[in-house]
Amino acid sequence: MKAKPARAAAPRPAMLTEQQMLWLELMQFYIGEAWLLDERKFKEWLDLFTDDVLYFMPRRKNVLRREMHRELTPLGDLAILEEDRRYLEMRVARLETGMAWAEDPPSRTRHLIGNLEVNPLENAEVEARTAFLVYRSHLETDHQLLSGCREDLLCRAEGRWKVRRRTIVLDANVLLDKNLSVFL
Amino acid sequence: MVANRKYAVIDPATGKLDRRIFSDEATYDDEMAKIFGRAWLMIGHESLVPAVDDFFQTYMGEDPVILTRDGQGQLHALLNMCRHRGNRVCRVDDGNAKRFMCTYHGWTYRNDGALEYVPGEEQAYYNALDKPSLGLIEARVETYAGIVFATWAKDAPSLEAYLGDARWYLDTVFNRRDGGMQALGPMKWLEPVNWKTLVDNCSDNYHVPTSHLSSARVQTRWLGRPPLSHEDQFASPNRHAFVNGHSVTFRDADDNMPRYVHGVSKETFRLFREYHDVTIPEVERRLGTLRARRVQLGNHSIFPNGILGLRLALPRGPLKTEFWHFVLVERDAPEELKRVIRIGSQANNGAAGMFEQDDVDNWRQVTEASTRRVGRRHSQDLSMGLGHAGPRRDYPGLVSERYISENNQRLFYRRWEEFMNAESWADIPLDPITAHFDGTATMRS
Repeated sequence: MKAKPARAAAPRPAMLTEQQMLWLELMQFYIGEAWLLDERKFKEWLDLFTDDVLYFMPRRKNVLRREMHRELTPLGDLAILEEDRRYLEMRVARLETGMAWAEDPPSRTRHLIGNLEVNPLENAEVEARTAFLVYRSHLETDHQLLSGCREDLLCRAEGRWKVRRRTIVLDANVLLDKNLSVFL
Repeated sequence: MVANRKYAVIDPATGKLDRRIFSDEATYDDEMAKIFGRAWLMIGHESLVPAVDDFFQTYMGEDPVILTRDGQGQLHALLNMCRHRGNRVCRVDDGNAKRFMCTYHGWTYRNDGALEYVPGEEQAYYNALDKPSLGLIEARVETYAGIVFATWAKDAPSLEAYLGDARWYLDTVFNRRDGGMQALGPMKWLEPVNWKTLVDNCSDNYHVPTSHLSSARVQTRWLGRPPLSHEDQFASPNRHAFVNGHSVTFRDADDNMPRYVHGVSKETFRLFREYHDVTIPEVERRLGTLRARRVQLGNHSIFPNGILGLRLALPRGPLKTEFWHFVLVERDAPEELKRVIRIGSQANNGAAGMFEQDDVDNWRQVTEASTRRVGRRHSQDLSMGLGHAGPRRDYPGLVSERYISENNQRLFYRRWEEFMNAESWADIPLDPITAHFDGTATMRS
């Protein structure tokens, strides 16, 4: 790869559509979020969510192909996570007590987020879908690869994007990890 | 399996426990036969199969079992194993089906277990196949307050005798309302622990202010729940009781307070209070005054592997346990209250539960200690409260003097020995039912 000249020429006018600009903006949002989580900046991570957030992880059942509408448990059934802002704040505050043993010593995580699709809505909110691979290493040799997707509803608040609703779907029926103590 | 092996793992005089029972392969094999092959095992709830032809796939120990409700509404627990070669006949978690077809050769069973159709019965088998003897293997099924139990043992006592006086306490959570309860779940995950560590932990309130202090602290601050401390627990009027292998802890306070359930906070307390006040006459009619107003079941286990209500520790080898977390809510409770309990339960328990996630590494390392060359030579110490338990008037079972005690854990391992050393059910002692079951509640209504 050739080195770039120290002084770039005047920037060319952007040839991006609004949809592409939105895509870039949100991809940056998700990359930033991943770094916050992996660097354990959980309070800053919490700022990415609205006060009325629903952080939801349904269960995923084995059902026949003709009954795929039953694969994910609906809101109202027992979920793996069905958290409002207050519960998320408690989870983060818990880590700072020095006695949250599932995460003290803490996990080493790597969140890889990709396959972003964005869908702007009429009301200026945006639906965004991403896939993730999250690697978790804990204590000496415990490790786990968590795979799944996230479906977010985002809105503009305080001049930035915030997540109002996150649905996390894990690619698993019986979870193979000893506990689910990391954020996705 | 080790023939006629005698187990003496808990010393009743000192509370010393041989920790090798958490990892020894031969012991585990024996457990699968002598405990999980004999005991009444919790396998589900009637509300998981509410309609005719509903089914729910579950386990008895390691064996996959289909809980079905047949065309007549009858419950069955059917071994999920085709009688031909052993393939499973059902691979989905739940649903509605009149028949189960094996995907290997197409043998097809009715949901009452009968073998209905075999491809080539005339042409390949010359009509010589004894179909009536080749139905799915069926376990005995009985229910208590909607909870479904099954056993492989033809000589097992009735479920009522098996639960015995433990039911006197269990009723105070599971049998309060005429409309019964409904089960939500399960959430399933695999823990690297021996199954007994989770069961024994059910009466271990000693660990709570250490293992769970982080969660308790934030819940005090955010939800207004009472603070948690060793001192409060040591002074608590709560007690342990032990009957037939079932470990109970219970609250004993005549303060007419709403029952503790997940989801209580300073904002939601009003919901619990109103529900309590509206339902207390019904509960008193069903359970009598003492149990309705005073006795309240706390953490408990139902022998061998039922944990805090309808939650199952399913053994997967000595070093692994698949855990199934359900939430039970009273069917006729207001929807808003059910929502609060469901969310509160999920926030505390389950794979992601704030409380439960802090338990697993403890149990895992207790399990692993039993595999270590030096560590396994040294016993566990379960001496707390030795000699400080006995009968108590009006309260069935062997009751501890204090809430913080290892009485139930010692007795759990003694019960374990009784099962492991028995040749058959005839050798397994049962405490007679002596409790006064005031009120109208029964095993099934």
